[in-house]
Amino acid sequence: MAASGQPAARAVGLSKAYGSGDTAVLALDHVDVEIDGGRFTAIMGPSGSGKSTLMHCLAGLDKPTGGEVWVGDTELSRLGDKALTRLRRDRVGFVFQAFNLLPTLTAEENITLPGDIAGRRTDPAWLRQVVETLNLGDRLRHRPHELSGGQQQRVAVARALAARPQLIFADEPTGNLDSRSGAEVLGFLRRSVDELGQTVVMVTHDPNAASFADLVLFLADGRIVDRLEGPTADAVLERMRRFDVRGGGPVAQPAPDAD
Amino acid sequence: MLKATLRSFLAHKGRLALSMLAVVLSVAFVAGTLMFTDTIGSTFDRLFRSTSADVSITAHNDVAGRNDQNFSGTVPTVPASLIPQVAHIPGVAGVSGRVAMAGIVLTDAKNKDIGAIGGAPTIGINWSPGPNSPVDLTSGVAPSGDGQAVVDADTVSKHHLVLGQQLHVIGATGGFPVRLSGIATFNTTNPGATLVFLDTATAQRKLLGHDGVFTSVDLTAAKGVSNEQLRDRVAPVVGSAYDVKTAEQTAKDAAQTLGTFLSVIKDALLGFAGIAVLVGVSLILNTFSMLVAQRTRELGLMRALGASREQVNRSVLVEAALLGLIGSTLGLFLGVGLALGLIKLIARGGMVLKGSQLAVHWPTVVAAYAVGIIATTVSAYLPARRASRISPMAALREADTPGRGAPLRIRAVVGLVVLAVSAGLLVGAATDKDLGQAGILLGAGVLLSLVGLIIVGPVLATPVIRLVGGWFPRVFGPVGTLSQRNALRNPRRTSATASALMIGLALVASLSVVGSSMAASFDAQIDKTIGADLIVQNSTGLPFPDEVADTVQATPGVGLVVRGQGTRGALVAADGTQDRTVVVGTGPGLDKVVRIEMRSGTVAAGTAPGHAMIGSNYADAHRLHLGSPVTILFQSGKAGTLTVGGIDVTDTNPGGLADEPVVASSTLRQYVPGALDDIVFVNVAPGASKEQVKSALTTALAKDPQVQVRDQTDYKKLVRGQIDLLLNLVYGLLALAIIIAILGVVNTLALSVIERTREIGLLRAIGLGRAQLRRMVRLEAVVIALFGAVLGLGLGLGWGLAAQRLLAAKGLQSLAIPWSTIIAVVIGAAVVGLLAALGPALRASRLDVLDAIAHE
Ligand SMILES: Nc1ncnc2c1ncn2[C@@H]1O[C@H](COP(=O)(O)OP(=O)(O)OP(=O)(O)O)[C@@H](O)[C@H]1O
Ligand SMILES: [Mg+2]
Repeated sequence: MAASGQPAARAVGLSKAYGSGDTAVLALDHVDVEIDGGRFTAIMGPSGSGKSTLMHCLAGLDKPTGGEVWVGDTELSRLGDKALTRLRRDRVGFVFQAFNLLPTLTAEENITLPGDIAGRRTDPAWLRQVVETLNLGDRLRHRPHELSGGQQQRVAVARALAARPQLIFADEPTGNLDSRSGAEVLGFLRRSVDELGQTVVMVTHDPNAASFADLVLFLADGRIVDRLEGPTADAVLERMRRFDVRGGGPVAQPAPDAD
Repeated sequence: MLKATLRSFLAHKGRLALSMLAVVLSVAFVAGTLMFTDTIGSTFDRLFRSTSADVSITAHNDVAGRNDQNFSGTVPTVPASLIPQVAHIPGVAGVSGRVAMAGIVLTDAKNKDIGAIGGAPTIGINWSPGPNSPVDLTSGVAPSGDGQAVVDADTVSKHHLVLGQQLHVIGATGGFPVRLSGIATFNTTNPGATLVFLDTATAQRKLLGHDGVFTSVDLTAAKGVSNEQLRDRVAPVVGSAYDVKTAEQTAKDAAQTLGTFLSVIKDALLGFAGIAVLVGVSLILNTFSMLVAQRTRELGLMRALGASREQVNRSVLVEAALLGLIGSTLGLFLGVGLALGLIKLIARGGMVLKGSQLAVHWPTVVAAYAVGIIATTVSAYLPARRASRISPMAALREADTPGRGAPLRIRAVVGLVVLAVSAGLLVGAATDKDLGQAGILLGAGVLLSLVGLIIVGPVLATPVIRLVGGWFPRVFGPVGTLSQRNALRNPRRTSATASALMIGLALVASLSVVGSSMAASFDAQIDKTIGADLIVQNSTGLPFPDEVADTVQATPGVGLVVRGQGTRGALVAADGTQDRTVVVGTGPGLDKVVRIEMRSGTVAAGTAPGHAMIGSNYADAHRLHLGSPVTILFQSGKAGTLTVGGIDVTDTNPGGLADEPVVASSTLRQYVPGALDDIVFVNVAPGASKEQVKSALTTALAKDPQVQVRDQTDYKKLVRGQIDLLLNLVYGLLALAIIIAILGVVNTLALSVIERTREIGLLRAIGLGRAQLRRMVRLEAVVIALFGAVLGLGLGLGWGLAAQRLLAAKGLQSLAIPWSTIIAVVIGAAVVGLLAALGPALRASRLDVLDAIAHE
């Protein structure tokens, strides 16, 4: 896919250190990255390599310790809490690795919550489409604890999509899903990029999931060590093996098979 | 396992602090009220013991009280001639005559009352230094002659009196000026009485009206002679006309007579201590059930790792016992502070207690630890047992699922049954004719309905919160929805949190219903019965000298004047049984100033000399008719047989008259010489203005500061003022319970915020602003508080209604619901919610988004 002119988000010399002194962990080490608008980017890398941290920083959920983060033409380090709250509410959608839903609200209420908070009505046609695609139609009135882990994750994806933010970040959105519903979620993310020009960034350990993306960024020890355009599952697997040989961290077991 | 327990105990400092706070506060409340109550009791005990002679002799009188001037202005006396008779009895080391007259008035030169306030007496006493004197002269000189007085140091310092200052003492027989010659200091704590010491001759003449008489003769026992022995030797010598009592008996009697008001305070405080236990236990229970619910996952993990059910239970119990022990100890100390605070507070009401004499009895300590440790372990055990019963996986999953727990059906059934029974009891109380039995029914009904409502609370939570918080989503959008859902997510917890508030508000509501019904009934009573334009009366109800009526009579514009006297006495039936009552004396024209509904005869015929007007209840019970003879035993001890000249309708006659016989003043004075007026009714002369006459009377009576001129409006105001004072006192005590309740709400919210850290992080991540988050927490608190208020008001109105119906027979005929108070309570509850949410809301809004999401 061709990138549109301006990057949807970018990081310049982005560093993030946890703790200080001897116990300091450098989770991100001068990362420069551009997330192209209207594309589907996957981030891969060994556990602890800084994938989640990078996404948190890009989404304005975490404060970098060095460098700059831009969402569109807004530089985040200068923003106060109110502006960051507005950014999260209006411009970014986030799907966490786990615990995504408010237990007191029904699935539907969870999906429309960001819009409700902002005082906007979620476009009903769009909502219906999202819900149908994610196969949630008969589950909308249920509370999260009445849903399976995969269903909960789909509701979280629906929530991120429903508000139509500029950017969607998803941290292992298919981690808890069987391969079929995982593929459905990924296919939906793919279509929202292709048909609606949505920008999606996703962390995954699964080469099959990564193959849905336009671009795969490989992270190791807090640095971007490689990139792969137009990935296929095999190509991704191939790259991952190369890391292993080069002495990168342990790589998560790839999912056995998918179509 | 124990190590793991202690580790987890210390790891969660926030939870620890909050649950500790719950224990400390409830124990402090219980211990503080107990200490305070004990201190009052021991202070008065010490006082009575220090002021009682080893053996004292008083005149024997069946109907009159001792030292009690409230009626007629005369008290039974002992002649001075008794002293030489008893002085030579072996074992008597000392004899002295005592004059002690409660109910006098002490004013400064400007006629401002500087005597005791708040139910404590102002007592006139003859100065007789000796081993039994409760005071020492600490400055100036002893009083001598009729122009000098010594006053107790507390009164002196409170009113900044100086030696030589001109004061005024007003006894029943009239007032006289004195100069302050000296200051006497109590050697025990004076709990608020004002003491005025006069020399013996002055005290006899001015306070008792006669030379050579005493209110008692006090004996000191010689070494080796016990008080009982001395009493047994003296009694036969003085004969049956006198009572001979040991110090122990006197102290007991004093505690009984002076102590009825004391025992009311004590009972009230114990009641509050009971409420304290209830509120405290519910606070601890709630906090702990939350803690263990939060820890269910942790416990589930322990079980998954192989810990046995017993191990899990034991670890929870050890933790709770530890917490209870430390919390109770801290609470005990805080209780001391609370009791000292109460002592300071009550000092403003006129009762002086010394903080250094704070009574910490062992039952207080036992109660404190019992409440702290037992409540904590039970509260911790119940939910822990539940946690250890379910499978480890269920426990691991459980933490995220709201609205869990067994269905509330059993609870609803049990609660409704209890409520139905309690409603039956309350209805029974309201309709029972026997007052004592009705009181017991009321007490049981109140208690049972409280228990019932606490049981059904969780069942009611959902509908009531839907009702009171139903408009939240519309007004506050998704924040409103979230807060309402949060309040509903665990109905048990919501209702437990609200129950402390419910108890406090139920009491406020019921008491305010009774209070305003009292005021309304009195208003109605005044309108119905008082026909006089103006009434002259002592604000304390004490009698006053005859000059007052003379002054009234001489004031221009005054028409009819009717003087009334109240004396103690008894109605004696044909079989000799005595019904103690008040015998009222009146001048002619009573029916023109008081509206009395007559069954037969007339007021004028009943109050003619040699006749009596009696109540219909007594007449029916003893088959008395017009013309029947009726025997009255008067306060002087003399009995007289009078003719029934009128029978009034007991149930509708003026408040206070009940079944009291009314006779002519002249008849009364035949039996009780020197009986003084305690009320003067005044009708203004035709053509005169009531306002003008009232102000003329006020001016004319300025020299008699103990009496006031009032019209009906003043009376209503007076009664309302007294009721309000009483209510405010009670509200003040309830405020303590309500503060604990607020802290309970704070505690629950704070724990909820901790519990929902991840949710809060998520909400912030998807764009909820800090202010919105704070509002969410505040609204949740408000809705919980309103829930408590609705239940409390409902309960309180029920109680108040039952109490009013019960007391209707006692004159509380009008029911008045104080809507303004009720609205204030609802608004107050909302404010309470807002206040309680301040801290937790701030904490929630300060959470770091990612930390919160990662929170376990
Ligand atoms: N709050 C924190 N405090 C200290 N160190 C942290 C914190 N969060 C992350 N780290 C460290 O930062 C590094 C990057 O963590 P991050 O969560 O970004 O890894 P990840 O690539 O998402 O791993 P995974 O695939 O397991 O989710 C790790 O070494 C981690 O231990
Ligand atoms: Mg991660």
